[in-house]
This record gives sequence, C-alpha cells and structure tokens, in this order.
Amino acid sequence: MKKLLCVVLCLSLLGIFGGASAWAADTLRVGIILPITGAKAKFGEIEKLSFEMALKEINAAGGVNGKKLEFLFEDDTGRPEVARSAAEKLITKDKVLMLGGGYGSSETFAIAGVAQQNRIPFLVNTGSDDKITEQGWEYIFRLNPPVSEYPKALASFLTEVVKPKTAAILYENTNFGSSGSQEFKAICQRLGIQVVVEEGYEHGGVDFKPILVKVKDKNPDLVYMISYVMDASLLMRQAMELRIKPKLFVGGAAGFTLPEFPKNAGKAAEKVFSATLWYQTLKYPGAMDYYNKFVATYKKDTEYHGAEAYAAAYVIADVLKRAKSTSPDDIRKALSETDMMTVFGPVKFISYDKKTNQNRLPTYLVQWIDGRLELVWPKELATKPYVYPIDWDAVWK
Amino acid sequence: MAVFIQTVVAGILMGGIYALIGIGMTLIMGVMKIINLAHGQLMMVAMYITYVLYEYVHLDPYAALLITMPCLFVLGAVLQRYLLNPLIKVDSILPENQVLMTVGIGMVLTELARMIFHSDYKSVRPPYTSMSLYAGSIAFNLPMVIAFGIAVLLTIGLFLFLLKTDVGKSVRATAQNKEAALLLGVNAERITIFTYGLGAALVAAAGTLLLPIYYLFPDLGGAFTLKAFVITILGGLGSTVGAIVGGVVLGVSESLGATYISMALKDAVGMVIFLLVLIFLPGGLKRLTKI
Amino acid sequence: MKALRWQVAVIVAASIIFPLVIRSDYYQHVLILALMWVVIGSSWNLLAGYTGQVSFGHAIFFGIGAYTAGICATKVGMSAWWGMILGGPMAALIGFVIGWVCFRLRGPYFALATIAVGEIFRLVAVVWRSFTGGMQGILLIQSFRSKLPYYYLALFLALACIYAIHAVMRSKWGYYFIAIREDQDAAESMGVNAFRYKSLSLIVSAFFTGMAGAFYMNYMAFIDPEVVFSLHHISIMAILVGIIGGVGTLWGPPLGAFIMVLLQETFRSAFFGLAPRWVSELHVLVFGLLVIFVILYMANGIVGDWTKIQRLWSSKAGGGASAAGKGS
Repeated sequence: MKKLLCVVLCLSLLGIFGGASAWAADTLRVGIILPITGAKAKFGEIEKLSFEMALKEINAAGGVNGKKLEFLFEDDTGRPEVARSAAEKLITKDKVLMLGGGYGSSETFAIAGVAQQNRIPFLVNTGSDDKITEQGWEYIFRLNPPVSEYPKALASFLTEVVKPKTAAILYENTNFGSSGSQEFKAICQRLGIQVVVEEGYEHGGVDFKPILVKVKDKNPDLVYMISYVMDASLLMRQAMELRIKPKLFVGGAAGFTLPEFPKNAGKAAEKVFSATLWYQTLKYPGAMDYYNKFVATYKKDTEYHGAEAYAAAYVIADVLKRAKSTSPDDIRKALSETDMMTVFGPVKFISYDKKTNQNRLPTYLVQWIDGRLELVWPKELATKPYVYPIDWDAVWK
Repeated sequence: MAVFIQTVVAGILMGGIYALIGIGMTLIMGVMKIINLAHGQLMMVAMYITYVLYEYVHLDPYAALLITMPCLFVLGAVLQRYLLNPLIKVDSILPENQVLMTVGIGMVLTELARMIFHSDYKSVRPPYTSMSLYAGSIAFNLPMVIAFGIAVLLTIGLFLFLLKTDVGKSVRATAQNKEAALLLGVNAERITIFTYGLGAALVAAAGTLLLPIYYLFPDLGGAFTLKAFVITILGGLGSTVGAIVGGVVLGVSESLGATYISMALKDAVGMVIFLLVLIFLPGGLKRLTKI
Repeated sequence: MKALRWQVAVIVAASIIFPLVIRSDYYQHVLILALMWVVIGSSWNLLAGYTGQVSFGHAIFFGIGAYTAGICATKVGMSAWWGMILGGPMAALIGFVIGWVCFRLRGPYFALATIAVGEIFRLVAVVWRSFTGGMQGILLIQSFRSKLPYYYLALFLALACIYAIHAVMRSKWGYYFIAIREDQDAAESMGVNAFRYKSLSLIVSAFFTGMAGAFYMNYMAFIDPEVVFSLHHISIMAILVGIIGGVGTLWGPPLGAFIMVLLQETFRSAFFGLAPRWVSELHVLVFGLLVIFVILYMANGIVGDWTKIQRLWSSKAGGGASAAGKGS
C-alpha cells in the first residue's frame, strides 16, 4: 500500500509539473551550465556575472532582432553527472534553443554528449580537454583554446629566452591537470627539454613537501605546475620554504592567474609566470572596457574565464540574430558561419589537426610583478618587460 | 640523503597535526565506542570560527584557541546530549545507528557552513605562515613546529587528566566497563556528554592550528575524519600516547610514500596501513606497550 | 499475503506504463535514476540490513561494474553492453576477495575497513591512467536516443533484484543471514558457517550493485573515478536509501530510493522551477536533517517502523478509525 501511495504521489507530482513550463513566445531561451556551487564555484561565479553583464547590455541594445534574450543558469556543482542531468533538463523540459557554458572538462564532456545526441548546439567557453572537439561532433563548438595550446606563448618564450634543459611537471589529478600535463610533456619533447620529474597529486593536499623535495633534488631549470588556486598557493609557499630555485616557475593558467593566488601565496607568488588565454590590455575592442566595467559593477577582479563568458554571450546573441529560424539545425549552421570579433578575440570555428568547430587563438604569458599580473610575452604586447633571470634570494627576502 | 631527511621531517611535523586530530577521536571512540564520522566537520566548524575571529576581530589564531576550544566543547556536548545519547535507548535492527547519526550530523554541519560562508576557499595569512627554521638545508615550517609542540602538551595534559583527576578516572572507568562504572556511582550519561565535548575541543585545537598553513572550505571535513580513524586504529582506542605515535607514523609513512612511490597515491598509503592494522594488529600499537 | 501480491501487481503495472504516459525525457530520467538506486539500496540492504554487515564501501562494486563496461568499450573493443553481463560477476568476484580479507572484522570495524578499501579503489582508478583513463574518465555515445529501452532495462533490473532478494530471504540462506546479524557467535555455535554465509550475502549484493554500475556506464555514457567510486555520492547514499526506507525489509530500500532521488531532484530544480533559486542548494541539508530525524524517531526506516507511524497517525486522527488515505 505504502509503495502504491508513493508511486501515485510521484505520478501526480510529475503530472502536475510536467506541463509547467510554458514561456512567452518572444523571449529566446539559452541554457548556461556552470559550477555555481562546489569547489569551482569561484570561477563559476566570475563567468555567471560576466554572462549577466553581457546579457543586460545585449537586451538594452534591442535584444535579438527585437526579442529578449534569456539565460537559464543551471548549476553543475562541479560534477559531470549533475552536468548531464542539468543539460537534459534544459533541453527536454525548458526547451532551450542552445547551450552555453561548460567549465570543468569532465562536465563539459558530459554536456556535449547530451547536446550532440539531442542535436542541440552547444557553445563551450571554458572546458579545455582537447578531446571535446576531437569527436567529430557537429553540434559542439568551442570558443576557447584547448589545453594543449595553453602553453603556446610559453613555448616560444622558452625557445627564445630561457632555453631550459630540464623540467619538472607537477599537476593535480583531475581532467584538467592530467590532460594539461600530457600536452606539456609533448611540448617538452618537441623542444628537446628533458622531463626529470612528472608527478600528479590529489588536490586538496596539505603538505606538498614530499613532491617538492624530489624537485629540489633533481634541480630542474623549469618547474611547470597545473593547479587550481589553493594548491597553487601552497605549492609555491612550500617551494619557497624549501628554497627551491629553478630558473623559473610557470603555472598552466587556472589557479595561477587569479588574484587569490598572490593573496594566499604572498611573497611566494612573486615573479611566477603563467600561461593565460587573455589579458585586459590586448588590443581587442572592448577588452579594457569589459575589465573596467566588471570591476566597477561587482567590485572584484576578473580574468580570462570572465572574458570567455562575456564573449560567449555576444557570440550567442550574434548567432541567434543570424539564424534563419529557431530550429537547432539553423542555429547550428549560423554557429558554424560565425566570424566576429569579441573582447576575447576573433571567433571563427574551423577544423585543424584532429579538431572540428574549434576557434583558434594565440595564448600569452603573464608574470606576477610587484603583486600585479602583467602581460610579458609576446614582447610586442607586453605591459611590462619580463623579469628573467630571477634572483630568488632577493625576491623572497 | 637530504631528500630522505627532509621527507621524514615533513612527515613528523604533519604527524603532529594528525595527532591533534586523532586525540579527540581516540577519546570518543575509546570511551563511548562511537565511531564519530562527524569529527572532521567539527574541526571545520572550529576553523570557521577561527577565520571569522581573524577577519573581523583580527584575533591571531593562537589566541583564538582559547575561544574555539570551549565553543566546540559546548557544541560537542550538546550534540551528544540531544542526538547521540537518546540513541542508546532506541531499539533498532542495526546497532550502527550512532555511526549513521554522526553521518547526518556531519552533513548538516557541512551544509550550514556552505549556506553561511559559500563554497569558495577562505584562508587566513598571519605573517608567520611561511616562516621556517633551518637546520642546514632542512626546512622546519614554524607553525607546524608550534602545532607539534602544542599537540605534545595537550597529550601530556590529557594523560595526566585521565590519570590523576576524578573526572578523568570516571572517564576511564566508563571506557573500560560502563555497567560497572554505573554501579560504582559514575553518572555515565554525564561522562559521555563530557567526553564528546572534550573530544570536540581537542579537534578544535587541531583546526585552529591548521588554518594558517592550509585553507578552509565546507567540504574539508571528510578527508580529515578518515585520517583521524587511521590514527585512532593505529594507536589503539583510547590511548592518548597512541594518538601521537599513530599520527607521526601516519605522517612519516605518507611522506615517504609520496616521495618514493607516488604523490598521487599518498592517501592510499594511509588506507593500506589502516587495513593492515585493522586486520593484523587489532589493538593498535597500544598492544605493543602498556600505556 | 494475497493483498500484498495485488499491490505489487499494481505497482509493477504502473511502472510499466509510466513512460508511455509521461513522455518527458527529464522525468523519465529521474525515474531511471530512482530505479537504479532501488537496485543499489536493496543490494546494500541484503548485506547490511539482513546480514548485519554494514558496508560503507558499496561504491566499490558499483565502480567495478561501471568500469568493466567502460573498459570493454575502450580497451577491448567490445560494446559496453557486455558490461551488463560481465559487470555483475566481476563485482561479485572482487567482493568475495574483499570479504575474505575483511569479514574477520566485526561491526563498526568492518564498516571502517570498507571505507578504506573503497578509497583505495578510487585512488588506484585515478592513478592507473593507462587502464582506466584516469581522471579523464571514459566517455561513450549512448546506444539509444530514446530513454525507453533504458527505462525498461532499469525496471527489469530493479524487479529482478527485489525478487532475488525476496527468494534468498525466504530460503534457508535467509534464516542464516538473520541469525548472523542477530548474534554471530550464537549462530556459529549452532553450526552456521558465518564466513560462508556472509560471503554469499556479499556476492549477491555485489553482483546486483555491479550490474547497476554497468547500467550506469551504458546510460550516462560518462564515468570517472570520482563519480563511480565516490564515498559520499554512492556508498553513503546507498546507506541513506536503506536507512530511510527501512533496513531489513524488502520494500524499504525501494521506497527509500524513490524518496531520496525525488527529494534530490525536487530540491535541485527548486521544486521544478516554482521556488526561488536558492532552494536548490538545500538538498543535501535536507538529506542530513532527514537522516537525523529518521534515526532518532524511526530507526527502522519508514517501512520498518510503518506500524509505529500508523499508530501515531491514527492517534492523531482521533483514535479508533484507521487513518483515511494512509491506512494499509
């Protein structure tokens, strides 16, 4: 009886709410999936705020062909199975026209699988695992460079300026860290750099000394780390404590470009390099404006993740404007024909190597100088000259 | 050679922190035979209190110890009195209800912390955070050395307390045989409330001392609870000295495992030791001594 | 007994026509998850509720089933559907080995040991990149676009699992399990080989949980170690499902599974869009409070303490008359 009651209750509940999603015919709804809670909430927040800022501007300027654009945000909590459920809900229940967002690589993968299967276009703006655009999925488009291209600027800096012979690669055991380390190792092999230490670690650790002691022992020229912000801070602090002095420390973006990094690492963040995908002084129209507007509106810093989200919003609006109708295939076609400039850079989806529907952009190298993140490479775009070689004793005094 | 020494040093210092976390649990498990799966979450609460005191009152964590420990004592006592003690009388199929209750408590504490403070990472950075003492090229992180010292002091204090004071003796009596203690006039219910509170206060000390060298987020409880178990089982239930020894053994094993096997498997080392001790040395290291 | 049969038939019939009536993919998805948890929760209950061995590591079997299916597809070149056949036995086999090592531990120590073993499996899956894909996980393409095949497969699995447990508990094995749960030493002194029967219970439990894992791989099409070997999201969830529904009962875990999954989705979607957004962040808090409440007042779960609930209800409804609507 109880089981019957339960099932009946369920059925009626679902029946009632099954039809509860009518919407006004003149708003265009797009689903955005981000980690709003969970470990990656910080980044999810920057992206959400950027999406919202862009949305306000787009609608104030007349929306999409007169119709209001609406973003439905869903929280993937940083877990792929939740991301998957969120995507399903947005597609089948909310009947969105397309999907955007996608922060963590695992989550992005899961969403992409759902989108491709349901033939709904998905514009990825952060998920970086190369494989996401290597599946030949025609409904999946990516705005940001894949993780293998993050160290492009670093590679040229290494060959022209540093010329290291040995490197240590430390990475967190997540999709991002794992795939990033493999890609960087490939770059090292190409450049003739010998990888003397390659260690993964569980994120959230307290004590990294064991792994750092190994690095100190092997004394590599370059230490490359792929971490989110708290691990990055602890790694650098403990490296400073152990007095590890390679020629340079480089972060693989993510945690190393956030303002929380110097806040938590203090002196240890100084003169650390990082790969990055964007910087506010780049000569893309509106880049500096976006940065200033964001800081003024939300009283906090933004960086490349926010720019990705902001640009994605504008791409979505542009796509929907150009699409012949609201059918998924017309939207997909409009996406594939995208050719526009955004604050994040030019956006045009092409195929190269094994990838399809991938936007191709250069990447840059930044360095923490006197507590501020400065663009240092390529030289022509630098806001401050790079500091190298580095006298660690002076920096850490 | 330097690699080996530094690794061992790092392990010992980490062991001090672990020991602090373990002391509280070994007391709770030893006395009340409760497996407290909310242990790490209690530590998390103490860390948030420390954080708030630092951010808004600019109180140094070492001073905050004098606030977090009593606060958690009260919290622990309340939890024991209202949520755990009643279970002793409940008739149910599975005796493991107490354990599951602590799971529920842990979940609620974590989510309340998340509601108030959100999921992003918080930290405190007093000036001494990265200071190190150096013996040659071997670095000794200062806050960890201090934490180690405090762990030893607390252990000695607890040891004397259990040995010499009346309350302490009542605690030991209740641990050894509850019925007999009741017969001898020990108010067992009050003692369990007191013990849980004391255990919580001890893990509060661990959290407050850990905060300057780590960081804070609502979900950190789980990992530390697991470590606490390993230490408790390793050292032997109810053995205060066992907790220190267990902590150091775990710390050093993890360190050596991380350096010589793989950093990624560091936590697995602890789990393997845990299993081996559970299976082959059921009383923990305590069995090898008389303390 | 006859009345129960009739109700079971109604439930089964309702579940069969459900997806044909409610055509929304989203709600079908929720029901599929619920059915999967019926399997996991019931399996856990067999080992813990009936045999008294409280496992905190059921994620091990779930993960093994999922990875068996996944590795079939990525390494062996077969379809992941083979995992549905191989996943169960694989999990059962490893379950047997784990039991062989851990069954000498009693009660809470056994529980702790299962936590440790679970964590070891998770870490190994993360580190053994070449075999499991590490944290990049295994991504497949779903074989069917429609949810119907998955729904009926999950339904079949759930019903088969419940039936199997029902059959086992009615047999001699069932008596031995309960005897071991109540007092292992007494049972052994009466000639019951505790180790053998605990192992049998574990094997059946692991088998079905492994099948659920293989199903998950085929349905969700993406797994990684943190998802399938998760202590919090799989092992502890299995325990909560059992506790809330009712340990040691046949229909307790199924009820618990439905309650947990529906509760989770209801909150996560902020009552399907009708409540303010911040409500969606409450669902774990509600779980925790529910656990505390149930353990304090309904330690045997909703089904286990059903008579207590009934008495409470009817006394509130003014004594005498059996409560309208909630009566059995």
